[in-house]
Amino acid sequence: MPRFSWKNPLLALTVAGALALTGCGQGAGSAPTASASDPVTGGVLTYLDAQPHTSLFPPSGGFYPNGGLVNQITDRLVYQDPATLEFQPWIATSWEVNADATRYTFTLRDDVTFSDGTKLDAAAVAKNFDLYGRGDAARALPVSEAVNNYDRSEVIDPTTVVFHFKAPAPGFLQATSTINSGLLSPATLDGDFTFYGAGNGTKVIGSGPFVVASEKIGAEVVLKARPDYHWAPKASANQGRAYLDEIRYVVTPEAGVRVGALTSGQADIARQIAAPDEAVVTASGAHLVAAQTRGVNNAFSLRFRNATLSDIRVRQALTLGTDRQEIVDTLFTDNYPLATGVLGKTALGYEDLSAKLTHDPARARALLDEAGWTPGPDGIRVKDGQPLKLVVNEAAPQPRSFDVTTLVSQQWKRDLGVDLQILRADAGTYTKAVNDADQVQVNHTMVGRADLDVIKSNYAAKNRNTLLNRNLTDNTIGDQKLEDLLAAVAGTPDPAARIQASQAVQEYLIDQSYVIPLFEEPQVFATTDAVHGFGTEPIGRPSFYNTWVQR
Amino acid sequence: MTARALGSRVGQAVLVLALAFTLAFILLQALPGDAVLIKFENPELGLSPEEIAAIRTSYGADVPWWQAYLHTLAGFLRGDFGFSIQNGAGVAGLLAEVLPQTVTLSVLAFAAAVVLAVTVALLATWARWTWLRNALASLPSVFVSVPTFWLAMVLIQIFSFRLGLVKVIGAGPVEALILPVLTIAVPISAPLAQILVRSIEDVQRQPFVSVVRARGASRWWVLTRNVARNALLPTLTIAGVLFGELVAGAVVTETVFGRAGIGRLTEQAVANQDVAVLQAIVVLSAAAFVTVNLLIDLLGPLVDPRLTKEVGLAA
Repeated sequence: MPRFSWKNPLLALTVAGALALTGCGQGAGSAPTASASDPVTGGVLTYLDAQPHTSLFPPSGGFYPNGGLVNQITDRLVYQDPATLEFQPWIATSWEVNADATRYTFTLRDDVTFSDGTKLDAAAVAKNFDLYGRGDAARALPVSEAVNNYDRSEVIDPTTVVFHFKAPAPGFLQATSTINSGLLSPATLDGDFTFYGAGNGTKVIGSGPFVVASEKIGAEVVLKARPDYHWAPKASANQGRAYLDEIRYVVTPEAGVRVGALTSGQADIARQIAAPDEAVVTASGAHLVAAQTRGVNNAFSLRFRNATLSDIRVRQALTLGTDRQEIVDTLFTDNYPLATGVLGKTALGYEDLSAKLTHDPARARALLDEAGWTPGPDGIRVKDGQPLKLVVNEAAPQPRSFDVTTLVSQQWKRDLGVDLQILRADAGTYTKAVNDADQVQVNHTMVGRADLDVIKSNYAAKNRNTLLNRNLTDNTIGDQKLEDLLAAVAGTPDPAARIQASQAVQEYLIDQSYVIPLFEEPQVFATTDAVHGFGTEPIGRPSFYNTWVQR
Repeated sequence: MTARALGSRVGQAVLVLALAFTLAFILLQALPGDAVLIKFENPELGLSPEEIAAIRTSYGADVPWWQAYLHTLAGFLRGDFGFSIQNGAGVAGLLAEVLPQTVTLSVLAFAAAVVLAVTVALLATWARWTWLRNALASLPSVFVSVPTFWLAMVLIQIFSFRLGLVKVIGAGPVEALILPVLTIAVPISAPLAQILVRSIEDVQRQPFVSVVRARGASRWWVLTRNVARNALLPTLTIAGVLFGELVAGAVVTETVFGRAGIGRLTEQAVANQDVAVLQAIVVLSAAAFVTVNLLIDLLGPLVDPRLTKEVGLAA
């Protein structure tokens, strides 16, 4: 989603200028304090985010500012350990899945209440997933991306609920653990799209350790701890109320202000620390927390249904001609490891495909020659009088997208004779162009989700469709084999077979040169010495339940 | 002003508003895409085209433009500005929440700009030494060429992060205004000071100044009692035009300082093509502009009685 920003040269100049004026830097800070001390209850934590939230409807939790709030105000049926990715009881004390993963039975705790006092029982859980699994177009509420093949719920008794699926849904257990499946009170679920929007935070009722206490639209959200909270996941060190009394989410669009406010002690945690700012943060004595997003790597999707890219030799040449190491080395830090395959190393089902992702510009040029693209007078290759010109989108939410695409554009021009243009446009033009393979042939994307389904989310025709395998105007599928391979990931009940299905997709995407993986994308936070016990859930959204401050 | 003249001015104002509304509607409709498209066709949501089509229908995004125009116009006349597609909030509520913040910021910034401009202008015309007069007189050129964004960042870096005098995050309501007000005031003060200096010099060359001086008045006395008052009118006129600068300054300043306000709202609405919000902001800005300029026209005769004839006041 493109957004207004002051990034890049202007900001760099400004910050540099401002730092020069102020004598640069804040001096050496103190060494990190040991977190071994006992947690302290009480205190206010100030958290800086670049953007305001747009919705507290849990299926919209993929947008970071939304997910960062939903994660604190809702509980989920199942807890997924962010380190091991194992599942543990939370609101559900146990669960059973039938052999073909079409029926899930959950047994629930009977001592959980929503913050409006209503009981969190089987009927409430059923109502949640009926909405998330089906959506409601009349209220402009989309189906949750995490829930596939949903059919219906069945309430057996107040602590037992069964979900039925139209086809195998092996990813559903993980889906119940994601922010997208945050449990809301039955009354909250009657809201429409506008109800979940800005300004209504205090009306969105969950059972989580925090509740929305107040909100200044577009500027600030204040969360307060729920004193009676005592249903944390078993694995959590804390089992009672959250340690913090209050969290203030302050919207701070300017990267320079986020970093400066943190290093000068005006804030405790800041999200979206850009790679070039990392040194400033550590030099001030603050700490970086880089949480991996455990999904499809930051990558270029090559839209193979476009005439130019339909030739596999061209796609191979673009892959071989991309110096991925140079991107990581010049634009990023150690927190952004070079991609070694389609998925991140910490993602489920990850397969190392680095042997197939070599850098060989000479071979790339030979392939382009072979494909009939010969060097033109200005260095750009030509075939049948047409220059080899491609367009890539600037993906504003992704780290340094414009710099990444600019560097690749330079590499391709210099080493291959390919003219790569970058699409920077207003939101409307952008959305239209990105959905058309003849306007944007190279799609810069990534997606995080701690389940094997993540690969389907990114490439399947009915999900994000980043390769535009499905043409959006005539609905035709270009590569049915890819669709079948992706369907197998989402629909294979046996866990081992499902991993194999995911790896088959990963190999196929690389063998067909559909994807050029660039780097593993983290969420980078900065925290001050005062902050202890800060963590993230499996795809990098902040979790404050176990966090405390000691000043 | 006669009732008839006043009525004609109000009629003009309404016409300007109607034109602003229509023009904004045409321009916003002409943009590729729409807010529903941007919000729900965003590939990150992974919605199927069927689902998007259903949502479009539920939002009434498929009706012909003239129906949408009439619908929006009727809504505005009722005071219902629709809903923001981006965050689902009612536009009237959004405006009501952020408007006071921007008004406070703008009014204070304008007041600060006037103080700054008058100070600079008086000193620049009163100082005895030529070099000092020249230095002061060139200040406006410096002020006007400072980019608002850069100024904001420098002020924050120095006064907040470096010296720790003012907090940017978690500041009290007054503290939170200091740096933003300064940020907007500096560039706004520049043209005001420039024109004030110029017109003070013009007035000083007029014969009556020599007469007053000859009767023993000090330079400062003449400057403050006789010259300044006469030099104020051109400045007042330009002040009306500067109102637009205030709004533009608010866009940058509110973004850098993370303040809620019309500026931030505009920036986000533009980025997301949130048509309902933009439509309301355009009409609101036009209304404010018309009002401010009307007030300045009415104030003119109070500052300079000679103007009453030109305005046509029945004496």
